[in-house]
Amino acid sequence: MASEPEQREIILQATYACIARWGVKRTSLEDAAREAGVSRATLYRYFGSREQLMNAVVAWEYRRFFERLIDDVRDAGSLAEVMELGLQSARKAITEHEVLQMVLQTEPALLEPTFSAIGSTTRDRVAQFLLPYVLEATLAPGRDPEAVADYLARMFLSYMGAPGRWDLTESDQVKSLVEYELLGGILAS
Amino acid sequence: MATVTEAHETTAASNRMRIIDAALACVTRSGTRKLTIDDIASQAGVSRATIYRTFDGGRDAILSAAVETEVARFFSTMAAAMGRAHDLSELTVTMLTVSATYLSNHQTLTFLRSHEPETVFTHLTFGRIDATLEAATSFAAPFFVQWLEPEEASRAAELVVRIVVSHLTDPDPAFDLQDVAAVTAFVDTFVVAALVAPMAPRSRRIQKKQEKGRSS
Repeated sequence: MASEPEQREIILQATYACIARWGVKRTSLEDAAREAGVSRATLYRYFGSREQLMNAVVAWEYRRFFERLIDDVRDAGSLAEVMELGLQSARKAITEHEVLQMVLQTEPALLEPTFSAIGSTTRDRVAQFLLPYVLEATLAPGRDPEAVADYLARMFLSYMGAPGRWDLTESDQVKSLVEYELLGGILAS
Repeated sequence: MATVTEAHETTAASNRMRIIDAALACVTRSGTRKLTIDDIASQAGVSRATIYRTFDGGRDAILSAAVETEVARFFSTMAAAMGRAHDLSELTVTMLTVSATYLSNHQTLTFLRSHEPETVFTHLTFGRIDATLEAATSFAAPFFVQWLEPEEASRAAELVVRIVVSHLTDPDPAFDLQDVAAVTAFVDTFVVAALVAPMAPRSRRIQKKQEKGRSS
């Protein structure tokens, strides 16, 4: 018999599979329970309500997204490199994320509660991840490393979500964005 | 003396504004979800027929006209403040502090952000953020042209818009975007320095333009 964390994981995976197939609105607790091979009672014991389950799935996929991202930038040797690799890989992951794209097309407002709840946590996590790279970089005088990490985390999330005028699939453009626009005022010249 | 057509047009225009302002008052009080044409009509003191004559798209047409009007009002306040800036740093600081102050004092926006955040959310994240960025950037870029080449001006404007949006969706209790001194310190180190960084090939052109600006 599966342990509690395992069972939780199985239910989340199953719910995610249902959403990929039918969308958020048309996924019921019965669907998720059937897909996971558990009873409705078990599902309720773990998640309490449909809303809690949906929030948990979004948070779960969000965490997996960042785990993959961290994996992609593991070889980065500098602050500029980690930002460049990260932006390129995050943008690619978002464009190719079929479930995310489908939800954005059809029911974007459903993402709001979870995104608002984890927004500042995400920024903190990205900032914490960047901080060691910031500390290793040679900063221009008067730049506080924590403030730098926070600013770069904000900008990372901003460009990741909407590249605007930048084509983040082009490594030259990513390099120019990171080195001049984002780090131009931060690194010692 | 005004012709009949002119008088009719004036009434139509004033009805339009009256209906939009009534819709805004209703939304500020109770949001968009349960808003009906009747609510707007009684707030505006006009008949339903007048509303349908003025907005043939009904409720949704009124709401998008209201958004457009509020964006125009916001941009016009921003333009008045930004037009007074004397240099790139002051322009950037003005854009950040005035927009932060305006948006946090905006009653309709405040109501929506706390009662139906998803209405605001789609405009500020994945969903429609690209359109928001583009509109705000096109508005702000001309102000930067005084100190930057057109292409750089657009990039600068977009960067500053991103900072505003980031703090609007995810405020930092330790960094108040309305605090001019704090924002000036931030802008001079992180933002302006990046826009005129001597290492950037494109920035050499900016420097040249600045020198040109100084000598003229």
